Amino acid sequence: MRTRLVECGIVLSVLLTVSLLAAQGEKPGSPASTLPELDGWGRPLASPAKDHKPGPAPKHDLSGIWDAPSPAGVQPLGAMAFPDDGKPGHQPPYTPEGLEALKLTKPSNGLRSVLPTEANDPVLSCNPQGFPREDLYELRTTQILQTPQSMMFLYTYGRIWRVIWTDGRELPKDPEPRWFGYSIGKWVDDYTFVVETTGTDERTWIDRAGRPHSAELRVEERFHRVDSDELELTVTIIDPKMYSQPWVALDKFPLHLQPPNTDVHEMLCSPSEFAEYNKLLGNSISERPQ
Amino acid sequence: MSNRIVVAGVALAALTFLPLSHAQIGAPPPTSPGIDGWGRTITPPAKDQKPAPAPVHDISGIWDPPNGVGNQVLGAYSMPEDGKPEHQLPYTKEGLEALKETKPTNGVRSVLPAETNDPVIPCDPQGFPRSDLHELRTTQILQTPQKVVILYQFNKIWRVIWTDGRELPKDPEPRWFGYSVGKWADDYTFVVETIGMDERTWVDRAGRPHSDQLRVEERFHRVDLNHLELTVTINDPKMYTRPWNAMENFRMNLLQPAFDVHEFVCSPSEFTEYNKLLGNSISERGNK
Repeated sequence: MRTRLVECGIVLSVLLTVSLLAAQGEKPGSPASTLPELDGWGRPLASPAKDHKPGPAPKHDLSGIWDAPSPAGVQPLGAMAFPDDGKPGHQPPYTPEGLEALKLTKPSNGLRSVLPTEANDPVLSCNPQGFPREDLYELRTTQILQTPQSMMFLYTYGRIWRVIWTDGRELPKDPEPRWFGYSIGKWVDDYTFVVETTGTDERTWIDRAGRPHSAELRVEERFHRVDSDELELTVTIIDPKMYSQPWVALDKFPLHLQPPNTDVHEMLCSPSEFAEYNKLLGNSISERPQ
Repeated sequence: MSNRIVVAGVALAALTFLPLSHAQIGAPPPTSPGIDGWGRTITPPAKDQKPAPAPVHDISGIWDPPNGVGNQVLGAYSMPEDGKPEHQLPYTKEGLEALKETKPTNGVRSVLPAETNDPVIPCDPQGFPRSDLHELRTTQILQTPQKVVILYQFNKIWRVIWTDGRELPKDPEPRWFGYSVGKWADDYTFVVETIGMDERTWVDRAGRPHSDQLRVEERFHRVDLNHLELTVTINDPKMYTRPWNAMENFRMNLLQPAFDVHEFVCSPSEFTEYNKLLGNSISERGNK
């Protein structure tokens, strides 16, 4: 039993560190190198012109490729506005049922973290993140496309697409749960797009810190187009069964517009790759000393 | 012995249809036929539709292979592994050796479920071209000035085909879904080239292998307003002595733009749960 604990700890810390470091590598202002950074196609990454000034926000338009200043979207301690770090004001307002449900989640990060083999984070074994975790853990380069009936979101993590219907339909009553729920959206003014999501599968965690949700969860996202180059995302969790009041999981999270030919790195969970790592490296590291 | 055959048959059938979310493969929508996930009536296409002209340079829309023909459980649509001589692929020696390594759950080389090494079953990414050649279902295509984006139903995967004139990369780091560029060969035919695919993927459910030299060509032909045909050609000189068509004129029908695509995502924990509740007991050997 003990051998696997150490092994998985290393795997997980490596995985998390690698993902953070990889994100760091793309950070603007990182130490200068003599070689240009290249994308997956071997092309230099475009950087904005030095004198570039953002223009006014276009109306009713979120389209583009958006990126968080790395590694801000990773959120390893849980939802960015409420990380599980023990600081005052970072504890969501749990109901008694919410606290009971919280005890059942055993995360691998944050204050309540357990040893890796004891963790039951479904994402570790490559289960779908679902929604809203797709916003609240590993939120990276995100592409938004608009059609007359919908907004389509293309996420980096898991290469997942998500549809938000703008055709005026109502949210479904008592739908069969989906990992990513059911979403509708509308413009509340020229620059703010508001999305409501229900019907999310109860097996998902809200974030990496294992905050729970019930079938009653409703999530509101507000996308605010600040100017030509910037978008702000605010995510509010509403689940009266688990939380005595709504709480804001992401608060005006900034996303910056990228060039339209930006290559998004592939980020897919592979159970066999994880098993291979364990065989080659993890297991031997964790062998007990004689 | 006959116990195990029946057992294996049930397990195989289960595996064929399982390990995905509660939106089971081919299962009817939750409430009743003709109702989508939102509880709305699905409008069937009008009968006796006269073909309307194809729009120019446009393959956008939500496309559906009728009657589940995209499931392709025996392998690539036009070359299933069913033992027929015309479906035998032109393997090189190396291709035949690589073929022996794959142990599929379907087709003439199928093994018992516990013996399979099909990576997709424990939820590894399908990768490309398998996303065309296994479980190709309702597929949405979007076009922007720089790219064509394909949204697959299986695992909700998005894939980008660049149309900005770039060349394919030289010796790129492999990706499950490779690197794709596309261009219009004429007003109604969009041709895509893909390279750089990870060697761990299978070409299809029947376990056809590929090397890092694989190049795939897709031809999307807009037949008329409501129909699209896809042809997929496999070109891998290391594994096959000549190119072969995995799909030939595979037809897809245009759906209305508000169509709800059922969620279809692989979940390892769900599969483990199934095995615990049902699968393991089925596959236990009978007492000797």
